[in-house]
Amino acid sequence: MNDRLSLGSRGMRRSAVGAAAGLIAKWAYLLFLLGFALIPLLWLLVTSLKTQGEFLTYPLSLPETPRFSNYVTAFQMARLHVLLINSIITASFATVLNLSVTAAAAFVLTRQRVRWAPAVNGVILLGVLIPIISFMVPYLSLVRAIKLYNTRAALILVYAAINLPISYFIVSTFMREIPRSLEEAAVIEGASSFQRLVRVILPLSTAGLLTAGTLCFIYAWNEFAYALLLTSSSAVRTVQLGISFFNTQFRSDYPAMFAAIAVAMVPTVTAYVMLHDRIIGGLTAGAIKG
Amino acid sequence: MIGKRRETIGNTLMLLPLILLFIAFFIYPLLYVIYTSLFEWNGFTRPDFVGIGNYGNLFRNVVFQTSARNNVVWVFSLGFLQVGLAALAAFILARKPKGWRFLRTVYFLPRVISAVAIALLWQTIYNAEYGALNAILSRIAGYPIRHNWLGSYGTALPAIVVQQVFYIGYFMIIVFASTTTIPRSYYEAAEMDGATTFQQERYITLPMARNTLVTSMTLAMAYGMRHFEPTFLMTGGGPGHSTSVLGLMMYKRIAQTKLGDAAAIGTLLVAIGFTLIMTIRRLLRGETYER
Amino acid sequence: MQKWRSIVLFTVLVLALVPHAFASGRADSEEVVIHWPCIWVGADAKAAVVADLVDAYNAENAGSIRVVIEEMPDYAVYDRKIVAEIASGSPPDFFTLKWNADTRAYYESDILMDFTDELAAGWVPAISRESIAQATIDGRVKVLPYETAITPIWYNTEIFDQAGIADFPATIDEMWGTFEKLKSIGVIPTSQMTGGNNAFTTQMWFSHLVNSIGGPDIWSKPFTDPAFVEAASILKQFFENGNTTADAIGATAGVSSGHYMAGRTAIFSNGPWFIGNIRSNAPDIYSVTAISPAPAAGPYTGSQVGFTLTAFAAANTNDAARRAAILDFIGYLALPENAKAISLESGSLLTPEFTLDAGENMDPLQAEFIKLRDSATFLGRRFDTTVPVSVLDEFGPGIDELVAGRISPEEFVARLEAVR
Repeated sequence: MNDRLSLGSRGMRRSAVGAAAGLIAKWAYLLFLLGFALIPLLWLLVTSLKTQGEFLTYPLSLPETPRFSNYVTAFQMARLHVLLINSIITASFATVLNLSVTAAAAFVLTRQRVRWAPAVNGVILLGVLIPIISFMVPYLSLVRAIKLYNTRAALILVYAAINLPISYFIVSTFMREIPRSLEEAAVIEGASSFQRLVRVILPLSTAGLLTAGTLCFIYAWNEFAYALLLTSSSAVRTVQLGISFFNTQFRSDYPAMFAAIAVAMVPTVTAYVMLHDRIIGGLTAGAIKG
Repeated sequence: MIGKRRETIGNTLMLLPLILLFIAFFIYPLLYVIYTSLFEWNGFTRPDFVGIGNYGNLFRNVVFQTSARNNVVWVFSLGFLQVGLAALAAFILARKPKGWRFLRTVYFLPRVISAVAIALLWQTIYNAEYGALNAILSRIAGYPIRHNWLGSYGTALPAIVVQQVFYIGYFMIIVFASTTTIPRSYYEAAEMDGATTFQQERYITLPMARNTLVTSMTLAMAYGMRHFEPTFLMTGGGPGHSTSVLGLMMYKRIAQTKLGDAAAIGTLLVAIGFTLIMTIRRLLRGETYER
Repeated sequence: MQKWRSIVLFTVLVLALVPHAFASGRADSEEVVIHWPCIWVGADAKAAVVADLVDAYNAENAGSIRVVIEEMPDYAVYDRKIVAEIASGSPPDFFTLKWNADTRAYYESDILMDFTDELAAGWVPAISRESIAQATIDGRVKVLPYETAITPIWYNTEIFDQAGIADFPATIDEMWGTFEKLKSIGVIPTSQMTGGNNAFTTQMWFSHLVNSIGGPDIWSKPFTDPAFVEAASILKQFFENGNTTADAIGATAGVSSGHYMAGRTAIFSNGPWFIGNIRSNAPDIYSVTAISPAPAAGPYTGSQVGFTLTAFAAANTNDAARRAAILDFIGYLALPENAKAISLESGSLLTPEFTLDAGENMDPLQAEFIKLRDSATFLGRRFDTTVPVSVLDEFGPGIDELVAGRISPEEFVARLEAVR
């Protein structure tokens, strides 16, 4: 089972006991994490099929008869399609904008001779450490000033910008490691810097872009505080904001609320189940080198 | 010559968007927050200059002290506990036990589910009257337990922290990725020398993954400083202000139309976060250089 | 190659969505579009009738005025958002506002539309002049009271019968006895809450207690007045000995009203706007609910907590057409027949006066509300209408600390006073 299990300990009784204890501890830990990730979600699904009465009296039991009507209520009340479309638009655009800006700048700063590159580099990286939540007031006034309050564009811009430092960090690490020789052929052919970026550097940095893009997308998809602050109309509301209103919207009808949450989870979970190798692959490809 | 100039223009054009966005969304807000923090201002009438008065008031404010302390708790919980737990899982999974792919996929699953949904779900799990946690404990104990997990001073903060730190997926993936780059030959050699699994992890994996760990910790600590959503959604800072964090306190100040106060909190959040994270990073890095 | 294909596909998809990204829900055209972030949506009892009225209004004014409802189903979030928007210098086109001590600051700036001149010229004649007088500061009116309320004590007569309780207790001392009887049949006496953003039900109890101990003029005194201390120490006992649910600390309005609607608690306090909700979502409880003045805690008996719940307000504007459109829409909502439709559907009490036609029936519980209001010895104030939001924000957390024994009732009120 464990292909690196120590050979040297074989035959020594104390080590065998230790190894057995280690094995138990290891699996206990792995299974605990598994339960922690899955059991609450299973409870959510089971509860979403109960009546409010069943839930309040027996929180742990199975429903007497599964009540799918909770899902009908959820669909009627939560207007999930609008929320989902808004989240998809916002997160996709934010990711594309973020990657375009980052890739172009990282290319210039890591592969062109720019005198003040190290300084710019350092300042941008410090951005990773800024608790972005502290910018609520200026972001609100900025977004008002450029007339984007209550638009998806506001969220796209903010999400793309917030993720610049981390994306830049990941992408620039990648670009720095691409050998110069690969670019030189293009230079001799007289390709402009933009052409070199698109033809040579970008294809070689796909892994880094994937990592940064996945992170940016997940961030934008899950963001709540700025969505709350910068939008007000239901026409541009994102999933997270919509879900936060379920509590009042469903008036503590927990089963219906859980049904709505379950439905809201379906698209991302489905996408994840189908694409998990790619998503994890993407994150792993750009293993942060620190 | 012309090519050179075109190159410069091209470079500038490619660099400009990032610079502009960075100035608009990082530099300007920082200056704005610092500047606004010197005024008493409700947003719509004339601001009054109060110098560092807002800061003085904050330092004397018990809620501010609690919130700042809780941010430090979050920095350490996420930076050390969460990353530590994630690294442990990553090291185990890196040895490819049965089902490691499945486990890795499931551990990351909560990250793709909305954090807001998860917070609402856990709020219900922790509820005193019909929450799942009390129901389970009651069944084990054999008598009804009605503990108000999120409404009691002793358990509210730990309840939110526990809920957060065991969702290790993100850092687990990052650390896992870095361990896969360690050459197998190192372990084989160690095995020949009779090193135990634990010794191998201690003397090979840990040092080799150190940079990744430090980076993960830095990121996690930065998340700890900006912590807002789970607390906002699960307790709103209660009971009392015992689970409040600076982000939440700032949000409330904005809604009280105390923008100068809010800006002062924002400034301090940046200052505290920066100092704390840089110091910890230096300490962690320092050890690396000594090696 | 496949990687590139998927990247191209993704880009195309994203580009196809470009027009959506910049659509803000704000249409450019000749007509005046009024955006109304509205809490009367979703499961709210006013939702359907308000939506119908707005549709009818839009149809009538097609091409010139269009009112767009922006759904804000969460009261707590709504209040905070409106204030944040006012603080950022641009309130919504049209919205509802809660009256509190911060409202005066809005009057001092030009941020809200001034209704004074139109009112003098006879605009919105159905709205009672008395309520308008309450919203007048230095001769100006910038918010227009629309919904008023009293928040009596609601109780479940069926549970009271089962516990052998004949009448609702008249004094606090009797009430403790009532609580014991309720607990003896396994019912939790009251719903309480310290969460949400205003600890609503508990705050109503506090207001009742203060009014009964201190009388109608008590709210102009500092919180360190003995009346507030006594009210706080009584309030604390509501959270002890199983007098409320185990989740009361930190509970939101949904949780505490949910307990009453599920028949788990026998007593709670809320306003008439809740009638429509309980009637449709918990008809069994609705049919056995009665209302009463709060038990007397001091010399002043038979009062009610009465207040302006929501007032209309609008962003100030130099655009004459926009101003006219907003005034016209408010005038429409203030018409007696429209106010009647909203009131009868939801149970809410509104400022425009209307008369019932033959065959129109008022909800019996709503009729009880009106009876209680009209027979009240006086209408006392509600805590959060007397203070700025910063003080309200200390109320729920203060109760948490009081109940946990971390502060005394004296310290509780001293803290409120310090923030004010």
